[in-house]
Amino acid sequence: MTGNPTIASTTAGSSMAADPTAASATAASTPAATFAGPLTGGTRAGGNGTADAVLTYVRYVRSEITRVWRNTRLLIFTLLLPIILFGAFSAGSEGDRLGDLAVAPYIMISMASFGAMNAVLGSAGRIATERSIGWNRQLRLTALTGPQYVLAKATTGFTLAVLPIVAVFVAGDAMRGVRLSAGTYLGAGASILLGLVPLAAFAIWLGYLVRPENMQAITGGVFSLLALAGGIWVPVENFPGWLADVVKLLPMYWSAQAGRAVLAGGWIGGRGLVTLAVWTVVLGAAAGRAYLRDQLRT
Amino acid sequence: MTRNPPPPGAPPHSVHLAGLRKRYGGVRAVDGVDLVVAPGEVVALLGPNGAGKSTTIDMLLGLTRPDSGEVRLFGRSPRQACTAGLVGAMLQNGGLLPEITVGKMLAAVRALYPRALPTREVLARAGVGDLADTRTDRLSGGQRQRVRFALALLPDPDLIVLDEPTAAMDVASRRAFWASMRAWAAGGRTVLFATHYLEEADAFADRIVLLRRGRVIADGPTTEVKALVGGRTIRATLRGLNAAGLAGLGRLPGVARVEGRGDAVTLTCPDSDAALRALLAAHPAAEDIEVVGAGLEDAFVALTTDDATDPSARQEITR
Repeated sequence: MTGNPTIASTTAGSSMAADPTAASATAASTPAATFAGPLTGGTRAGGNGTADAVLTYVRYVRSEITRVWRNTRLLIFTLLLPIILFGAFSAGSEGDRLGDLAVAPYIMISMASFGAMNAVLGSAGRIATERSIGWNRQLRLTALTGPQYVLAKATTGFTLAVLPIVAVFVAGDAMRGVRLSAGTYLGAGASILLGLVPLAAFAIWLGYLVRPENMQAITGGVFSLLALAGGIWVPVENFPGWLADVVKLLPMYWSAQAGRAVLAGGWIGGRGLVTLAVWTVVLGAAAGRAYLRDQLRT
Repeated sequence: MTRNPPPPGAPPHSVHLAGLRKRYGGVRAVDGVDLVVAPGEVVALLGPNGAGKSTTIDMLLGLTRPDSGEVRLFGRSPRQACTAGLVGAMLQNGGLLPEITVGKMLAAVRALYPRALPTREVLARAGVGDLADTRTDRLSGGQRQRVRFALALLPDPDLIVLDEPTAAMDVASRRAFWASMRAWAAGGRTVLFATHYLEEADAFADRIVLLRRGRVIADGPTTEVKALVGGRTIRATLRGLNAAGLAGLGRLPGVARVEGRGDAVTLTCPDSDAALRALLAAHPAAEDIEVVGAGLEDAFVALTTDDATDPSARQEITR
């Protein structure tokens, strides 16, 4: 309690000019700054051990997945649409081939990748919405840290991305008789997800960059462009040579390509991995900057 | 819910702000705030819009990084205090997660605290025990605030911070809100709230910290802050008073501040007896003299407004 009330000068523009270059800890120069008592004291256990931190993170991811799962609109776009598009595009005569694959498996991988892409990009909208209502600030008052929040959004996206991949694989078998070995299914699915890592960083960046009211329009456009550039609407094999070269510099192409490479008995290859790594670093840095700006200022 | 007394060696402060500064562009939003709040205090951060209340609170909670200065909550960094579940807050303009029921939303947040009260209990304490199955987008303005209060209570915090908590409430909701709050704080917990409702600070806080232009200009028990500036106000009509005469009034003993409109003057007086004697000695022809006790409103206006027409507004107030 303060004993006597104190009243400071109300003189405008007094000598209290803030030094913009002042270091962050000037507390020592303030007479009132006596931090008596041990810093670790208190009436409660810290609750910030590694095990607790992991538990908090896992709980948050679980509640996020549950919440998104209840969103029917989202399920339509990530689950139903890829299946419908697969049905529409995968018809072809026996001998038709796209690259190393027959039409049906080729389109199956494309659509699995498309659905997974939607799921991963969905975190952009969730971050933007939560930012606009100050929900991320509310969560920062819990044991969940800022980096955990961002990581959880990406994890949620990737977990949900498994659904369309499985769904389109099942549709491939049921509708076109595409049946693969368990190992190929797993390898192809994992490769598709691996190819989406740069996209997850991109989604986080968008989430901190775009206002939620503009998000629908922007992600709509982005989806279409990415799908086009990834050879999902039109197989890259049908692109002119120069355009195919450009597309291969972009990350989106490598998600579906990684999956197809597994079906053809290979793997994504060094060029694909390097492309994905470079894009992950670039987009990750952009996302990190946008995140920090949000974290420190507003 | 009574608390155990803090163990020996526990930090004596709930809140400790030292030399806190933050500027946005060219504006010094917070310009050197020092504040120490002891456990069990109920403190109002009072000031007009733009005084730096929200920025101070954001830095206090670790949501904004100060340009300089230090924040300790219970002797820890804000992040450590939040992680330990020591802090609950209602932020300004904070929303609720859409497309989910109140109960599910609270349960999701509850899982992020090391230990937390049951959702039913916090809803009951916030006075909205019947809303668990209501969707968040179907709540009224007052209900939303109460649910946000329930969110703040979830970790069973030792410190609760409220940024303009009753802004969206009508009078009845406001009264009910403060009743819930009082019941909660009775257990010896610390409350820090920002408001520009003077009655709210007067009625609820036992200490008022007045902020103006990012600086603490008064800090003390509610009654003393009221007494400090304008224990009384003297109003009088002084015919033919010129600017020099008006400025002269500000130098009279017992006068803290002068305001003049035409012939009518208002003197804010820490010592109205001395001021009145001096006023009558200097202006024997003074008419319509009125001496009234100043409420918080007057103290607030006297301390926080920038009145360009007032020659003594920038004068230092000293005791």
